[in-house]
Formats: sequence, structure tokens, C-alpha cells
Amino acid sequence: MKKDNLKQFYKEFPSNPDARVKALKSILEKEGLIDQKALDGILDTYQNKVGPLNGAKIVAKAWTNKKFKEDLIYNTDQVLKDMDLNGRQGEHVVVVENTETVHNLIVCTLCSCYPWPLLGLPPSWYKSDAYRSRAVREPRAVLSDFDVKLPRSKKVKVWDSTSEIRYLVLPQQPSRSKGLSENELVSWVTRDSMIGTGFPKPPTGE
Amino acid sequence: MSKPHDMGGRFDSRRIDIKSSNVKFKADWEKEVFAITLALGFSSLWNLDRSRYARETLEPEDYLQFSYFEKWLAGLINLLGENGIIKDGTESEDNFKKSSFRVLEAKNVKKLLNMGGPTQRDSNSEKKFNLGETVSVRANNSNTKVEKGHTRLPDYVKGRTGKVIAYHGSHVFPDANAHFLGESPEALYSVEFKSQDLWDKCEHVEDTVVVDLWESYIEKFK
Repeated sequence: MKKDNLKQFYKEFPSNPDARVKALKSILEKEGLIDQKALDGILDTYQNKVGPLNGAKIVAKAWTNKKFKEDLIYNTDQVLKDMDLNGRQGEHVVVVENTETVHNLIVCTLCSCYPWPLLGLPPSWYKSDAYRSRAVREPRAVLSDFDVKLPRSKKVKVWDSTSEIRYLVLPQQPSRSKGLSENELVSWVTRDSMIGTGFPKPPTGE
Repeated sequence: MSKPHDMGGRFDSRRIDIKSSNVKFKADWEKEVFAITLALGFSSLWNLDRSRYARETLEPEDYLQFSYFEKWLAGLINLLGENGIIKDGTESEDNFKKSSFRVLEAKNVKKLLNMGGPTQRDSNSEKKFNLGETVSVRANNSNTKVEKGHTRLPDYVKGRTGKVIAYHGSHVFPDANAHFLGESPEALYSVEFKSQDLWDKCEHVEDTVVVDLWESYIEKFK
């Protein structure tokens, strides 16, 4: 059997993370291995361009357009590709629909897999040890931390993202929002409702 | 014993800190780590599975104490060390071949991020399991090719029985790819487990957990 041990090179670096990054960066710069403009471009993408609004638009569209919803669920990758939403960490997506009887919840117990092109970067709690440990064992207790209470008539289905498949929850449309336009509905769709730790709600101020 | 990163089902009494909700980066150094890690991911010196393995194999006490991006940072440094870019004095001079390193240029950022890294592959081998079939997970979740190697088979489902609910085609096999043993694509399935079959005390008998599992992680139910 092959042996493969990465050595702990990081131990030779300053332990303060700020100083550690600076030390690393100066080596990379000296070797010409990073281009600052490219780093800026990556940050700009994930800080300003990609976020839960992408997912919210899809959900609002699925709520108002039956044909789109069917395509989204059964032909997901093609639909997202056509919308230019199948980039890094969203190459293979499965959309899971909440119903009267099933509530879906997404976690990644092994790291922090998350559908970046649809939701942006994950919130801190999604990456926390507590969420990663508890979501599969006691999802209802986890949901109560989010003030989400489910009736006993609903089954909880937890999806652990162990492969490169990324999951997006299609939440149920609140009855109060029926009749609104696709555009108006976008602001009802919260990030947490697409992870399964929340429900859609009226935009603040209403 | 499960590895430190393999957290599913571990007892943890901490509440979820939902106030941490909207923070993407807590400090500027975290932004740097994120951007550098993504940029160097395009260098062609390693792959996504290798970078996960690099984080998982940090000293266990560090894995548990480090913040999220401290793990990324330490993992990245180890990958760079493995490739001779960061030196510890034991390597030969020509260990690092700069010519094979692809530097990410600003003009390619958008294109490469949009392209991502699909892991689905064509396959000519027939899949072994059918939708609806009951399967058992291997009793041992160690990597079968590499001692203490990378795997995406979580500890909490080993030896458990569930039902195949989806087939996703053939995907790059992390247990091989993380160790540069080739992509070795395998059929990938979603397997649904009843919570009551996973935990001594489950919250609701109807609740389930779905885990994505490669074909060699599972066996016919006997």
C-alpha cells in the first residue's frame, strides 16, 4: 500500500495568521507565482458579484413558471448553464423541493461544500463544527436554533454534500405571497430558505 | 476513530451562532488566503481533492483549533512545500519546476471561475446498483489504496444500510485523485438512510439523511 504524508511545512511559519499570510505572499511574489490583479478579480467576484440573489431569482422564477420549475428540477445543469450559473463549486447541482410533507436541509459534514454560483460564499455558521456535527444527527434541534419549528407531519431530509454535487433547496412559496410577480418574489427568498435553515419571508418593511 | 474533519454526528452541544450569518471575511488576511488559494488552485500542481486532503491532514489539534481560513492557509503552505515552492532544506535544488506552474492572470479569472471544474466523466462500465435498491456501506471507511489516505466516505454511515435514490453518472474518484493515482471515475449515487438506522436516539422516525457515495463505497445488501 502506498504511503503519502504531506509534511507540516506550515509549522515553520509565523503562527499569527496575518503574519503567516504576509510571509507566504512575499515568497509567492518573489517567485512570480501570483498576479495581484487576478487576486483582486477573484475577491471582487465573490464579494460583489456572486451571492444569494442568484439563487433567489431562480426560486422566484420556479414559483411563477411551472415549465421552468420542471426544467430546473429535472434538467438542472442545463438550465443553470444557460443562465451562466454553473461555475466553480456549482458544476453539478441538484435542486431539492420542499413540500407539505418534506423539509430539506443542506450540510457538508466533511468540509464546507456549498453552491457558490447560486448562494455566494457560505456564512460562518455553515462552516462551524457545531453545524457540521449536529445537522445530520439532530436536524430539528439545529433548526430550532434558527427559530424554525416544523410540524411532526413533516419529514426532515438532510443532504450531506460529500461529492461534487451541490444542493439547493427550493422552498415552498408562502401563501401570503401568492399572486405577486416574479420580480416582487425575489426579495422574499432568503439565503437560509435555500439551505433549509429558514423560510421565505416578506422583505423588511412590509 | 474518525478523523478530525469527519464531523458528521459527533456530539456537540454548542448552539449554532446564527449571528455570524453575513460575515464573509472576518479580517483582511482571510481575503488574501481565499484569493491566493483559489488562484493557486489553477496552477495545475494539485487538484481539489489534494487540497482537501492537505487541510484534513494538518496536525489534529490545529485542525480543531484553527479558524476556517487558518486551515486553508496551513493546507496551502503544505501543498506549496510538497511542490518545492516552500523549502525546508531537505529538497534538491530542481525540486520545483517553475515552467509547469500556471500563473493565473487577471484576464482569465472570469472565464476560469465560470468554467469551474466539472467532475463528471464518460464511462463505459455499467453501473452496479439500481434506483430503489437497498445497499450496505463498506464496514471500513479507510482509503483502500493509500494508508491514511483521503476519502469522502463519512464515518457515520460506514456499515449502515440505505436505499439508492439517485444516480449521477461517473465522477472523479477522490480517494485516487487526491493521491495523484488518476481520476479513476466511478458511478456516484445518492443513498438515503433512515435516521433511526444511524443514531441510537433519533428525533423522528420519518427523518432521513442522504449521502453521496461512490460505487466502491457500497455493496449489495445481503
